[in-house]
Amino acid sequence: MQRNMRVNKHWNKKFGMFDLVNTTILLLFSIICLYPFVNILALSFNTGLDSMRGGITVIPRELTFANFIVVFRNGLVLNAYKVTIARTIIGTVTMLSVTAMVAYGLSEPALPFKKPIMIYILITMLFSGGLIPLYLVLRGLKLTNTFSVFIVPGMFSAWTCMVMKSSFQQIPISLKEAMRMDGGNEFDILRHIVIPVSMPMFAALALFSAVGHWNDWFSGAYFVRSNNLMPVQTYLMHIMSTDVSSLAEKMSLGTATTANVSADALSSGGISKVTSMSLKMAIVVIGTAPILLVYPFVQRFFVKGVLIGSIKE
Amino acid sequence: MANSVVKRLANGVVAINNPRPGRARQLLSKYWLHYIFILPGIVLLFLFAYLPMAGLLIAFQNYKLRPGLSGFFTGKWVGLANFWFLQDKYFWITLVNTVQITVFRMLVTWPLPIIMALSLNEMRQLKLRRAIQTVTYLPHFISWVIAGYMVTQVLALDTGIVNMVFRSFGMEQVLFLGEPQYFRGIVILQSAWKGVGFGTIIYLAALSNVDVSLQEAAMIDGAGRFQRIWHIDLPYIRPTIVLLLILSMPGLMSAGYDQIFPLQNPSNMAVSDILDIYVVRLGFVQAQYSLSTAIGLFVSLINLGLVLGANKAAKMLGYEGLF
Repeated sequence: MQRNMRVNKHWNKKFGMFDLVNTTILLLFSIICLYPFVNILALSFNTGLDSMRGGITVIPRELTFANFIVVFRNGLVLNAYKVTIARTIIGTVTMLSVTAMVAYGLSEPALPFKKPIMIYILITMLFSGGLIPLYLVLRGLKLTNTFSVFIVPGMFSAWTCMVMKSSFQQIPISLKEAMRMDGGNEFDILRHIVIPVSMPMFAALALFSAVGHWNDWFSGAYFVRSNNLMPVQTYLMHIMSTDVSSLAEKMSLGTATTANVSADALSSGGISKVTSMSLKMAIVVIGTAPILLVYPFVQRFFVKGVLIGSIKE
Repeated sequence: MANSVVKRLANGVVAINNPRPGRARQLLSKYWLHYIFILPGIVLLFLFAYLPMAGLLIAFQNYKLRPGLSGFFTGKWVGLANFWFLQDKYFWITLVNTVQITVFRMLVTWPLPIIMALSLNEMRQLKLRRAIQTVTYLPHFISWVIAGYMVTQVLALDTGIVNMVFRSFGMEQVLFLGEPQYFRGIVILQSAWKGVGFGTIIYLAALSNVDVSLQEAAMIDGAGRFQRIWHIDLPYIRPTIVLLLILSMPGLMSAGYDQIFPLQNPSNMAVSDILDIYVVRLGFVQAQYSLSTAIGLFVSLINLGLVLGANKAAKMLGYEGLF
């Protein structure tokens, strides 16, 4: 560490041509990464009709909240949001609990039949039945078109299990044995040793699982039919290709329960400047905002998460 | 040593509790809780991984949708009849589209994170460097649908930045997503935008372990920036580079339904229709379950071959295999 500091100090003396070019290129790439986010944010706060004229880049020209008001009054969007939040929380918690139990069981070095069980898990990581057979199984088990289809098939993750197992195995056995000698059972060991020690790993794995749930649109598109079960991302996918002119109308009508409020909203002044494009931008912002909000707090787990993922099983 | 003593002691306790300790019983009494922990995983994998594998049988049947799972075994057997798709021109078009996207994408998204990591590693303004990392990791965390919206918006006529720049230079606007010749480029740039920043993490972690005294020695010997990168940093991360290349091999058969579908439209179909999308369309839209499964099986087998091949290649090159 100290050596590093010394060298850095030495290097800091000169900010040469190389640094200038290097820093400029990196900054340019950062701007490219950030621009679409800022652009969509600006468009979502701009009146739809004005946006059509073009020229909106990073700041709104005609500031309005109308897009968000219309979107938040839409029952379908709110419901989609609820589905997404529910599946993200329930899906992540159940997956981590179930998988952690399995991984803990398998981390016992002397467990009989460990090898066949590991092979049983490994095979599923190498080969799969594919989409249609999975769909037919889900359908046969009466999971399709239920909320459970978002949760149950993902409750055990083979990859996560391998990561957890190799992490659990690094916990000194003497700690566990000491607990056992003191009369503790396996649950005590889990609660007082394994889980506290593994917290940073759980945080990283929870992050990846939650992002996966939040961003998944495929299962919402093909494994459920009811509008009540549609997650936000699937909803976004559905309206992406929707005819631009009909969308505003469709959204303002929404479901029967919201028809009245939305009609009111439409008749009240500024809302009439809403276009389907500005509404889409508002939904995109709502669909991304939670990730961006938690992003700064979970950032420190990224490195950990990526590195544990590269552990050989 | 101490552990084995403790273990023997623990076994002794079990033996005292059981008057006639059979070996199986002894083990069971010691490990029954572990097996209960493992059981849900075994059941879930059986239901959602092994049952679908059994479902592959319908690739050799003329499967008709029916309630429950009995259909997997009761469909009319047709042998290899479903595999006529191997002579179908459209199947090969989607296969070629897939491989063209995946190969070109790999040629871009494999080296770029390496270059960017080396470049970040040279930055000494640590606060700025951290800010750049924060911003460039960000696109990794949004969904492909939203990434699709962003690409569509950036390339939109009149309101997108690219066409706004074109217009300000007096150039004709271009409907990028409507022109097949731009499609692959767009997909590859989108992949790079979304993944390159995040891809640097693993290389940066490796680079942080480079021995500083090596760098100092090289500097004293008068080595320049590029020489140091080339002769010290790059060799240091070579195992990581090779391993990640090998790991990306199995992805060659999947261009990514999530990424491509949001960008697909009728005018770019000729290049954007990939295997993943074709399989979904056959299965879910046209209800040709057996045909769709047959194609899926074909792709899965090639994938398996790629994984095993990559693993073998890793071992032959002297790296630890994946399993």
